[in-house]
Amino acid sequence: MTKWTAAVLSTALLLASPTVLSHDEPGASGGRLGKVSFPTSCDAKVQPDFERAVAMLHSFWYNAGEQLFTSILTQDPSCTVTAWGYAAILMNNPLAGVGASPANAKKAQDAIANARANPPKTQRERDYVEAVAAYYDDWANKPEKARQLARSKAFEALAAKYPGDDEARIFNALYIAGTQSQADQTYAAYMRAVAILEPMFAKYPDHPGVAHYLIHSYDAPPIASKGLTAARRYASIAPDAPHALHMPSHIFTRVGAWDESISTNLRSADAARKGGDWPEAYHASDYGVYGYLQLARDADARKLMEEALRYSYGDSPLPAGTYAKAAMPARLALERNDWKAASQLEVIPNARQPYTEAITYFARGIGAARGGDPAAAEKEGEQLAAVQKKLEDAKNTYWATETEVQRLAVAAWTAQARGNAQDAERLMRAAADLEDKSEKHIVTPGRMIPARELLGDMLLEQKRYDAALKEYEASRAREPNRYRNYAGAAMAAEGMGDRKTAAGNYAKLIELAAAGDGARPELARAKAFVAQR
Amino acid sequence: MKRRIAALVAGLAMLAFPPAAPADPVETDPDLASRDADYAAGRRAIQARDWPAAVASLSKAEVRNPDHADLHTDLGFAYRNLGQYDVAFRHYERALAIEPRHRGAHEYVGEAYLMVGDVKGAEKHLAALKRICLLGCDELKDLEQAVAKYKAGK
Repeated sequence: MTKWTAAVLSTALLLASPTVLSHDEPGASGGRLGKVSFPTSCDAKVQPDFERAVAMLHSFWYNAGEQLFTSILTQDPSCTVTAWGYAAILMNNPLAGVGASPANAKKAQDAIANARANPPKTQRERDYVEAVAAYYDDWANKPEKARQLARSKAFEALAAKYPGDDEARIFNALYIAGTQSQADQTYAAYMRAVAILEPMFAKYPDHPGVAHYLIHSYDAPPIASKGLTAARRYASIAPDAPHALHMPSHIFTRVGAWDESISTNLRSADAARKGGDWPEAYHASDYGVYGYLQLARDADARKLMEEALRYSYGDSPLPAGTYAKAAMPARLALERNDWKAASQLEVIPNARQPYTEAITYFARGIGAARGGDPAAAEKEGEQLAAVQKKLEDAKNTYWATETEVQRLAVAAWTAQARGNAQDAERLMRAAADLEDKSEKHIVTPGRMIPARELLGDMLLEQKRYDAALKEYEASRAREPNRYRNYAGAAMAAEGMGDRKTAAGNYAKLIELAAAGDGARPELARAKAFVAQR
Repeated sequence: MKRRIAALVAGLAMLAFPPAAPADPVETDPDLASRDADYAAGRRAIQARDWPAAVASLSKAEVRNPDHADLHTDLGFAYRNLGQYDVAFRHYERALAIEPRHRGAHEYVGEAYLMVGDVKGAEKHLAALKRICLLGCDELKDLEQAVAKYKAGK
């Protein structure tokens, strides 16, 4: 018995157990996952399941999709085109840049080998298997970036060979988007994907992949608003897929549509927990907490965080759970300017992803400095330097740079606390400029506090109101509709004597916090200011 | 130089303990030394100061990994030590085109400029390091010292 056959049989046995996938749970074969048409030469009895499995793949519902593809092959051993879907699922989120784990790469390679030994009946199906095989061929000897490029090239060739096969074109768009560099602010790869996907969206308004990949391809500040239609549709296209419920919030967060973000993330966290997808539940909760805090619904934010923290995120090697666990308490302190709480956060050790430790060191450092304890802040800065060094040694350039931004910000506020305004501004401006050169990672709804917003805070504290307002407005262009931003901008405008701009920002603050707890001090000031007029 | 060799030793030691989890998104492949035997051999040759062997191995690795900033920095370093400065400068420039904030490349190309008597070239990279290392870094310190020593010797 080959390992692949053994894996198929063991999964088939699992599927036979009602505790794994019952019809009452998300993941049941009748789940609402959108409309996908993927004709195959497989036995007609497995075709509906095949299309559901492809729909799961489109919504990154990996655990359920992996099981379903395996089950299909068990029912129809000649349906070896399942190797394509199975191997595609094991590549993980193609937009996250992480790729398959070595164990999953081995599983995928076994499945591909099985399909090559028992080829699917049609050339098109064989070509799908070979397209995904491009990612796994010589896998151990290629960096992830090279695998991504090989995959993109292979699916581009597949789409060109079968111009009438829209599934090939949709997957081609996804894998093009998967080559987008976070340092490329022309979003060239995303734009290429969009050019394929937009006409598809008109043709297939209920297709889960098209809406989903459009959201990813617009997940950058200057283009996010173009993804709103897809974002608003996607959750209703595939309401049983946890990721489909969460994904629209990437756009909602970018445009500051907090109510919509909260609503879809609450549903996503709930669906993820029911489906046992613990990292996804954490991830959705972090986005939800971020949204609540922008609406000054602090008690709801805390409640959602505490609900998330009741559960383990499992032992996933992916950062969604570990990141959210560190981020949520830090956000709760920092967004409310609760410097004391920020300075007292507990560091959660994470040797695998040390940048999640950096979140806490950053919050503690900013908290200590702004709470008047520069010596303590300096120590947190040293911890950030150590994390940055670890990330640099691991050649993790992206997160090393993110940590450097945090380190610069902590050093800036330490200088500010020591009365060295000039150094403080120089360092904080360098942090903001460096942060602006790349995009936030998809693991997070946003940086803990945008560095440029922190620069605005600093200039406000230095009573340089004109300069502060300018920075708040620049920050808002990238991170719109943030509570802290309006509060800072209003105070800066007030300091300048620009009552009109101050009133406009205070009015936005009051509007944002309409359903809030009413406990934030800026709100009282805003109401008093508006009442004066 | 000592720091560079120490870093190489540390890097090679890490090969015995490869990361257990998939890497996060990176611009430079973090696992090249563990995957590419020629790159690993090239780095060992640098450690042993066997510059011709380093160039031979690293050049083979370059064919497969043309966009790896560390590899180009290593090649620049090996050529620099062979006295082939033009080739060294080409590799350093390539490294900095791939990673403009590569601190090691700025330091080593700055030192290479001093070796050919081009202090202005060195100071250009010193200025770059000052912009990059606002909170200080070893590369800035080393190049500052090298420039100061060069000027004192003039």
